Amino acid sequence: MLRLLGARLLQGAIVLWIVTTATFVLIHAAPGGPAVLADPKLSAVERTAIEHQLGIDRPLPVQYLAWQSSMLRGDLGRSFLYQTPILETVLNRLPNTLLLVALALIAALALALPVGLYVGARPGTPIDRFVATANFTALAIPPFWFGIIALLIVAAQWHLLPAGGMMTPGVEISVIDRIRHLILPVAVLAFPIAAELIRFTRSAVREAWTAPHLAPAMARGLGARAVSRSHVLRNALLPILTVLGLQVPMLVGGAAVTETVFAWPGMGRLGVEAALGRDYPLVMGITVIVAATVVLTNLLLDLAYRWADPRVRTEG
Amino acid sequence: MKRSFLPLALLALFAFGGPIWYRIDPTAIDLGRTVAEMSRAHPLGTDESGRDVLARLMTGGQVSLLVGILAGVVALLVGTIVGALATARHPWLSAATSRLLDAAMAVPSFFILLVTVTLFGGSTTTLVLAIGSTAWMSIARLVRAESLSLRERDYVTVARALGQPPVAVFRRHILPHLVPTLVAAASVGVAQAVLAESALSFLGLGIEPPTASWGNMLTGAQQNLSQAPWLAIYPGLLIVLTVLAVNAIGESAHLRSRVA
Amino acid sequence: MNHQALWRLLVFTALAGCGRQRPPEHSLRVAIINDPIMNAPLSPDIGSVLINKVIFPGLVRPSDSLTPSPDLAASWTISDDGRQYTFVLRSGVFWHDGRPFSSADVKFTFDQILDPTSGTLQWSDFSVVDSVVTIDSLAVRFWLKSPFAPFLTLLGHNAGIIPAHAFHGKIAEAVSFNRSKPIGTGPFQVVESVPGSYVVLATNPRYYGDKPKLDRIIFKIVPDVNAQVAQLQAGELDLVTLEPANLRGVESEPELRIDQISVPQHYYIGFNQGLPLFKPKAVRRALTLAVNRQAIIDGVLRGFGDFPQGTIPVALRDYFADSLPKIVYDTTAALSLLGEAGWHRGADGVLANQVGQRFQFTLLVDKGNPSREQTAVAVQQDLRKIGVAVTINTMEFASMVRDYVVPHRYEAYLVWWNTPLDPDQFSYYGSGQSNNDVLYSNPTADSLLAAGRATMDPAKRRQAYLEFQAVEAVDPPVLVLYYPREIQVRRAVLRGLPPLGIRDAMRHSERLYFEPR
Repeated sequence: MLRLLGARLLQGAIVLWIVTTATFVLIHAAPGGPAVLADPKLSAVERTAIEHQLGIDRPLPVQYLAWQSSMLRGDLGRSFLYQTPILETVLNRLPNTLLLVALALIAALALALPVGLYVGARPGTPIDRFVATANFTALAIPPFWFGIIALLIVAAQWHLLPAGGMMTPGVEISVIDRIRHLILPVAVLAFPIAAELIRFTRSAVREAWTAPHLAPAMARGLGARAVSRSHVLRNALLPILTVLGLQVPMLVGGAAVTETVFAWPGMGRLGVEAALGRDYPLVMGITVIVAATVVLTNLLLDLAYRWADPRVRTEG
Repeated sequence: MKRSFLPLALLALFAFGGPIWYRIDPTAIDLGRTVAEMSRAHPLGTDESGRDVLARLMTGGQVSLLVGILAGVVALLVGTIVGALATARHPWLSAATSRLLDAAMAVPSFFILLVTVTLFGGSTTTLVLAIGSTAWMSIARLVRAESLSLRERDYVTVARALGQPPVAVFRRHILPHLVPTLVAAASVGVAQAVLAESALSFLGLGIEPPTASWGNMLTGAQQNLSQAPWLAIYPGLLIVLTVLAVNAIGESAHLRSRVA
Repeated sequence: MNHQALWRLLVFTALAGCGRQRPPEHSLRVAIINDPIMNAPLSPDIGSVLINKVIFPGLVRPSDSLTPSPDLAASWTISDDGRQYTFVLRSGVFWHDGRPFSSADVKFTFDQILDPTSGTLQWSDFSVVDSVVTIDSLAVRFWLKSPFAPFLTLLGHNAGIIPAHAFHGKIAEAVSFNRSKPIGTGPFQVVESVPGSYVVLATNPRYYGDKPKLDRIIFKIVPDVNAQVAQLQAGELDLVTLEPANLRGVESEPELRIDQISVPQHYYIGFNQGLPLFKPKAVRRALTLAVNRQAIIDGVLRGFGDFPQGTIPVALRDYFADSLPKIVYDTTAALSLLGEAGWHRGADGVLANQVGQRFQFTLLVDKGNPSREQTAVAVQQDLRKIGVAVTINTMEFASMVRDYVVPHRYEAYLVWWNTPLDPDQFSYYGSGQSNNDVLYSNPTADSLLAAGRATMDPAKRRQAYLEFQAVEAVDPPVLVLYYPREIQVRRAVLRGLPPLGIRDAMRHSERLYFEPR
């Protein structure tokens, strides 16, 4: 197990190196430059001074090596846009995104598991067909669109929930206030995941019901409920975990859209701002940190996978 | 299976065939008549710049369908090749491609997509390549899993024993059996690409105006949502229909693979 | 009560009733688009500029009639040669941390601004300043390299004063000051800062001016304009500036008011006059005649703009040449001017000259702004009518400026200048000047612009700029499209805003108040 963990961590490090190098090449191959230099009013003197201050007047290989070596020392540099240390800037935002993503996953699971189990056990019934159609349609709606409509109707028209932000500024922090701000973005983020999960749970449950080892269990006189709980659920859990693992990287990036709609101070939005402003260190810093988060999450999911399916434990 | 292509074909006919008889310039603006309702001159009204909505839905559809399908094809090609290589018997090759696949899976693809498109701009080519090269991973996984099981079948073992080269074995004996799976996977890819284009447009990063795409039409409609909801409903509906049409193809391919 | 109604009531009370948090009354909520850098010399960028105007007063501030009026400076004298400005500072001013304000702070601030390596973005505004010396703790003298009439206006523009005692080392690296604990002398001081979310400012009890009427100003970070509109409708923002395109959603809200303010901006198409195509002044004048600018103002700006004269906008009331004849849309006149310049329409309707060269060019526009994109298409359509073929190329603003405009690798581009409240445009349109990216060169204009910035006498200045605009009518440096009006959308009960652009209005934040219901 420890050896496996070590190997996985090493692989993770390689992944991170590939990702950062690719990002470095990508942003420097692109046209344009840091947004602070975009002001047409700047004179040549100021341009030179700013380029020197940002360190972008050095040759690219030097910049690359300097960045890699300071990253190894845990220093991700300073943001061009905000002039703050990258690590601090990103760590300020990361928890907000993780909160959103985690709650969305939980909400999606809470909806998808019961629905999936229920309809999976009743293939071909009207309710099964209804859920399948609803799912199909839900997956076809652009999520940001759903978010805007929800925002305009629930917040701007009905004044039921806040129209954005993480909490009401200028008042005592309260749990209820936080929850009210969370409802819409979490719902919007969870909606497509729930649809995807229901789809998988439904087919996984259907297959688990037809699995050969169920017949002896039934023959031993276990009731359908008991069978459902102990055998079906566990077997269905594997594909669900796989799907979840696939969703995480998409979610962390995809949160950018939700965060923009709801003015949520997360990483996704920070990433969009950084890319738009050509904030090289911030773009690279976010990529490293997001990739590291995803690598770690996948590792955890891997362990969960092994726990759920004893057969995988022997594999390397 | 063939019948499942019908809805998508109809949408394509609308987008590519429509402009042949409906010859209004989709980029011509009429500042005196913005956000107009339906009229004889503009059967579906005009948008915020006074451009004809029907004409834009057609040319926008060309862009959205093209981006969706081409990005799906790119993802399919890359995914199939990587997936096949990952099952190669050559130990080095399969290990290297498997690690590459793992690496690509760990990357937050939408974020990379965002960065790429922000940096290089929203031309059709950039979008196709960027969306395609961030969507191939699930296809590669599928191909790897399926061909691992396929290659243990008797006829494959026989073909190999007869001394056929591995590429030929893959092409003649494994690939044909993969087709339904691939169609299903590709349809998911196309659907995702259509949605990705619209999401990028929302962030101001998709196909660049004045070229229309369903995605940027939706975005433009946001400003006038309460006065002119139809501006949002038409492109939104077409996106939903396209994704449904593409998924229908996938679903029928999936069912066929079960039957076979 | 039936079942469904009961259920709905429950949901309503759960969501809306309990736990709805409103900030205390007399809190003003303003939208900004990104985390601010709260340090005046560092940042005239759009996200930071509003908040810095509240936190950091300057020596002077623009009055309601746009003239510089005393702020941290109580009075000043100007030497006869216009090269020495001596300021007597207000006494009894304290920084937000309780330390006394003095002339050393003024000197410190300008030493930063005059050092381009400090990270300041205001160096070029003050490059005319030779040195700053303190005379005593409440008097400071500026030595200028040459007489410079816009100087006072620029002091009231972005040059807020920062405290010398708060910095050890580079001001750009003072992260805690710049991001969460700035110290100014303004009517409101920062009490809470949440990155990506908001910055809360509370009344400064030591403020030297009139007692602020609001209790708090909350700057909320809302980057997306549609989200701003939604928050405005939901009652979560009190003051926002919007573009005409985004206005439809708020026009019908009874609780909101829309104010229009003329601001010193001119939007224009710059033609590269290093190219033979745009060198002749007749061609530039013809192109100006051929664009239906009134249609753009009505259609794109929905009327929220003014028909332009030259490059000096109507917001600069004293300097705008009101009496000059307007250059109105006239394709016949345009075609005859182009004919004199050697361009004639061929059988296909396209303009060509004697060697068969066609009149065509590429127009660069920054992407993502619907008003400018629509304007570019309108120009393209208008010019097509006289046989000029325009190709539009949309690109990232930063890329447009850095890769095309600054190195002069372009034919035409659509941008704007956002200027201080002063008509000085020497650096934009003077021959060979640093911001003259259109490569305009007219000796008469050069001498008028030079005289305008060096003359201290207001009447003579006015005369110079009126004459400059007359020159522009014949030899236009750029195709001025319109002077936009700033659209301020505010809650109807918010009062006390001076009739200035929001940036200058924020210099008077102590005057804002909410009308009691």
